[in-house]
Amino acid sequence: MNTDELTGFDAGLFEGSASADTGDVLGALRAVHDPEYPDISIVDLGLVESVVAVDGQVTVGLIPTFSGCPALSMIAGDVRAAVQSIDHALVCQVEWLSSPVWEPARMSPTAQKQLESYTVVLRGRDGSLRCPVCGSFDVSEQSMAGPTRCRSIGWCDSCRNPVEVMR
Amino acid sequence: MRTLAQSSVGGRSWAGRDDFQAFIDAGGIVEPGDDMPAEYRNEVFRFIEFHANSELMGGLTERDWIRHAPGLRLKQVFLAKTQDEIGHAHLLYMVAADMGVKTRTEMLEDLFSGRSRFHNVFHYQAVTWADQVAIAFLVDAAAFASQRAVFAECTYGPYKRILKRIVSEEGFHMRHGEEMLLRLATGTPTQHEMFQAALDRWWWPAVQLFGPDPPRGDIDPLIRWKIKSKRNEELRAAFVQKYVPLLHSYGFEIPDTDLSQDADGTWMPGEIDWEPLQATMRQGGPDSARRIKTAADNWSDTAWVREALA
Repeated sequence: MNTDELTGFDAGLFEGSASADTGDVLGALRAVHDPEYPDISIVDLGLVESVVAVDGQVTVGLIPTFSGCPALSMIAGDVRAAVQSIDHALVCQVEWLSSPVWEPARMSPTAQKQLESYTVVLRGRDGSLRCPVCGSFDVSEQSMAGPTRCRSIGWCDSCRNPVEVMR
Repeated sequence: MRTLAQSSVGGRSWAGRDDFQAFIDAGGIVEPGDDMPAEYRNEVFRFIEFHANSELMGGLTERDWIRHAPGLRLKQVFLAKTQDEIGHAHLLYMVAADMGVKTRTEMLEDLFSGRSRFHNVFHYQAVTWADQVAIAFLVDAAAFASQRAVFAECTYGPYKRILKRIVSEEGFHMRHGEEMLLRLATGTPTQHEMFQAALDRWWWPAVQLFGPDPPRGDIDPLIRWKIKSKRNEELRAAFVQKYVPLLHSYGFEIPDTDLSQDADGTWMPGEIDWEPLQATMRQGGPDSARRIKTAADNWSDTAWVREALA
């Protein structure tokens, strides 16, 4: 929506009336957070695959952690709002891409640390699981089905805490 | 707010109850390996078991509405919410079972035979889709407020860690609740009426969810052990203060003829009849029997899966 609600003025009719470069857009996207984790940015989660900004037309390509994730439309709405917060005359299109496929390795070290503060961990390269609470490797898999499609449930035998694992 | 430092694996012990209370008062977090007083263990266990039961019973209700949710997107939302609640129940039962008071199976069997309790709101029937919206918008909000107040202090480490995720995930549910309410509030007159009828059914259960305060002079042991950070009455007042103006702004009426506003503009509910809440605690709510039976049937129908996995 790039039509001014009060005046009906459609900025999109005038090319070049709004502009932003990809750096501006990426900066704005940093402030878009996972709807479930209010402090983790979608950029750090590795959801942002591409940003194209040409003549006031911004296209953001995102990849979902899981297809069927119930947060997709909320994230897309938040992305459009963030882009238009740079300049409300910008036209923003969000595309959910089917490739590449999201994998936990796309997350930045920042996001991994933030997730650990929620007792959510990533598997190590060798498949090992390190407990984010006590640091031991005494974590056993309990259930493939966790509270969301992207997480399974484990248990740390050392400190006796449940641990969720990104799938 | 207490912070969660690295967990202490080794067991700590305290000379007596005063010593333990001093540890709690100084901001200490209790871990599973600690030699906690039996009273503390039992209170915390009961509280987590109640929470786990409520997540499970709530999840089963939401599951029943997946088929009825209008449109694919809302079906997807309900599917995800169901998975969320059942996942939360799973995590909570793991932590509760680890406390050594009851096994997970004992907790489930107590729940399905009506021997243990769960939140009052899951003892009522959701009649129409609008009831589901009222639950998402109002009841979830009340549950969220009380969970957030538990998370703020919560001296039992494993429970506090789960609550951190539950609270952030419930925040996501709230957004869905608001979205669904907006659709009905701005919809046709029939949709507006449907939500008003649902509000008439769910307002009081939501207000009662926080429970009464203990008699004046008694100290709630959950507050003394810093499991809860706020009194029930305080949480209820904040809830009423937030939701009365919000619902009024959408043109809905609160089904409380004695609702009033004091000189500062604070909304005060009429006198609360606690009998309906007490009835739910005896499994005598309007829909208690059917809900418990559904959950129990579910458990017995899936016995073969547990046997196959054993």
